[in-house]
Amino acid sequence: MRLPVLLAALVAVATCTETFVGHQVLRVIPQSHEELQKVQELQELEHLQLDFWLAPRGLGLPVDIRVPFPSLQAVKAHLEAAGVSYSIMIEDVQALLDEEQREMLRSSRQLPLDTDTFNYEAYHTIDEIYNFMDLLVAENPNLVSKLEIGRSTENRPLYVLKFSTGGTNRPAVWIDTGIHSREWVTQASGVWFAKKIVEDHANNEGVASILESMDIFLEIVTNPDGFAYTQTTNRMWRKTRSKHSGALCVGVDPNRNWDAGFGEAGASSSSCSETYHGPYANSEPEVKSIVDFVKSHGNIKAFVSIHSYSQLLLYPYGYTYTAVPDQQELHEVSAKAVAALSSLYGTQYKYGSIITTIYRASGGTIDWTYNQGIKYSFTFELRDTGRYGFLLPAQQIVPTAEETWLALKVIMEHTRDNLY
Amino acid sequence: VTELSPSHFSAARAAAVALGYLRYLRGGPGRGLGLRQLRSARRQDIDDVGHKYYLELELEDVLDKARTVSCTAEVLYQLGSKTSAPDVQVTVQGELRSTEEADQEFYSRIRSLENELVAENIPDSHGNVPPELEPIHLLAWVASGYVIWQNSSENTKFHLAQVKHVKQVKRNDEDLQFDFVVLLHDMVSQEVLPWQVTLLWHPQRGARVSQ
Repeated sequence: MRLPVLLAALVAVATCTETFVGHQVLRVIPQSHEELQKVQELQELEHLQLDFWLAPRGLGLPVDIRVPFPSLQAVKAHLEAAGVSYSIMIEDVQALLDEEQREMLRSSRQLPLDTDTFNYEAYHTIDEIYNFMDLLVAENPNLVSKLEIGRSTENRPLYVLKFSTGGTNRPAVWIDTGIHSREWVTQASGVWFAKKIVEDHANNEGVASILESMDIFLEIVTNPDGFAYTQTTNRMWRKTRSKHSGALCVGVDPNRNWDAGFGEAGASSSSCSETYHGPYANSEPEVKSIVDFVKSHGNIKAFVSIHSYSQLLLYPYGYTYTAVPDQQELHEVSAKAVAALSSLYGTQYKYGSIITTIYRASGGTIDWTYNQGIKYSFTFELRDTGRYGFLLPAQQIVPTAEETWLALKVIMEHTRDNLY
Repeated sequence: VTELSPSHFSAARAAAVALGYLRYLRGGPGRGLGLRQLRSARRQDIDDVGHKYYLELELEDVLDKARTVSCTAEVLYQLGSKTSAPDVQVTVQGELRSTEEADQEFYSRIRSLENELVAENIPDSHGNVPPELEPIHLLAWVASGYVIWQNSSENTKFHLAQVKHVKQVKRNDEDLQFDFVVLLHDMVSQEVLPWQVTLLWHPQRGARVSQ
C-alpha cells in the first residue's frame, strides 16, 4: 500500500481512541464531467463523515475516499445509481492499521541502551533478553555475572545470572523461569526479578540483607529452544525441541525428565505427549546442565522453579503420595509466602504438595532437588487461573512479578534464617 | 459424604466443569463468568452411579468485577462412562448484571455487517484482544463452556486457551451463527487441542450449540 504518510497519521489516531473497523477506502476514477460532479456531491454530504485521501481533481484522476462503516451503503448506492464505477482499495482499514502497527513495532525494536530504558511491561525475544543480561552485568560488574552452564539441543547457550557480594561458595538460592516455554509470564518475571535484585542492592533494602550472606542464581530462559519455537511457530509449545532416535515426535517435557520417580505414573512414555518423560532421566541438556550445576555447587539451600498458570505454590512430592519429612515446615512457609503475595493486589493462591494440589507428576524438578537435600524446594504456578491462561496480557507482567517477588522474599528470608 | 479441601485437585476439576456449564447457560457477548473462589467442596461416592461433588462457588462477571454472586453446584461424574457428560445442576443466588443493551447493540452491529465477520487468534500471543472483538471472545467462552462440560471427566481440567478461528455464518432466521475453532488446554494431560463448535445466539433467546 503506497499511502504511508496517511496511514501513519491514522495509526497515531487509532492508537488513541478511534477504531476503523469496517471502514473501507473506495477509489473512483471519473471518466466524464457527470461522474466528476457525482463524486463532488459526496463532498457536500457532511453527515457521511467521508475522508477524502485524494480529492477530486479532474477527469481520469483517481479519487480515494475513506468511508466509515455506517456510510458505506449510502455512498455505494449514490455511486451505483449514477452508474459511477468504483473499486474497493482497502476492504477493512482497521485490519491494515493493525498490521502496520505490528510492523512498526517490529522495526522499531532497537535494543535498549540500558536496563533503565528496558521495557519490563512487554514480552521480549530471546535476543532481547540475552542483551538485557549483558547490559545488567555491564552496569553492575561487582554484583552480577553471567555463567554459561551448558547448551540446548539446538545449541543455544544456557545462561544463569549469579548475584553475589563476595565470599566463596556461599549458601545459595536458585530460581528458574521459562522451563516450559509457553509460560511467557515466567521469563518476563525473571527479567524483572533480575533488575529488582540489582535495585534492592543499590538501595540497601529488600534482598540486600540476603545478599550479605547468600548468593542468588537466576536462570531466566531455561528452555530457549522451546521459547524460540513459541515465537516463530507454535505459541502453545511446552517441551524441549529434542529428537531422540526412534521417537515419532519432537520434544521432552523438561519437568518430567528429572531423576525422581523417573518414568513412573505421572508422566507419559509417548514422545507425542506433552508430558513425555524422555528416553532416560537427564536426557535433556536443559535439565542435565542444571543437575550438573547443582551437584558441583553443593551449597544450594533453596530451589524455586517457576511455571504458569493456576496461581499455586507447591512443594514436593509429585511422584508419590508419601509426604516429605519437612511437610509441616514447607506448608507453613507456603502459607506465609502466599499471604505476602496476596497482600499486594489481592491475588488468591492455593498451596500444598504437588500430588494433592494439582496432579501426580513423576520426574519433576523439585522432587529431585528435595531428594538431593535441598529442603526449601518450591514450584510456583503464576497468574492467572484460566481467563487468559498462557496468553496473559503484557500489562499483567509487572504486577505478577511484583507480587511473586514478595513470596520469593519470604522463602529466601526463611532459608537464610534457618540454614542447615 | 466427605469434605474436601478446596485446594484438592478433585474439587478444582469439578469446579471447572460447573464453570463451563454456567458459562454456557448464562454467558453472552456482554457477560463472561469467572470463578472468584471455590468456597467449599464435598464428595459423595454413590454405588453403581458415580462420584458426586457438592460445590459452593463465588462467581464474578469479568466485565463487572466489583460484584460477585454465590452459586451452589452439583457435579455428578457417571461411573465408568466414557461417552456421557457429567450431570450438572446449578443454583445462582442473586442477580447478575443485565446485559440487555449491550446484547442488542452487538446484535445490530453484527447483523448490519456487509461481510461476514472473520477473526483469528483471540487473544493474540501477547494476550491482546481488540475491544470490538471482546464480545466474540465472550461468545467463545459460551461455546467452549459447552464443550468443556460435555467432555470433562474426573481426570481432566479444561480451560479455553485461545480462539484459533471464528467465522460468522449469515442465516435466514434471526439467530447469529458463529463457527469457532477453539483451543482447549487440559491442565491434567497438558495437551492443547483444537475443537470445532458452532454457536447460535439471539439477544432474547440466548445461546445454544448447534449439533
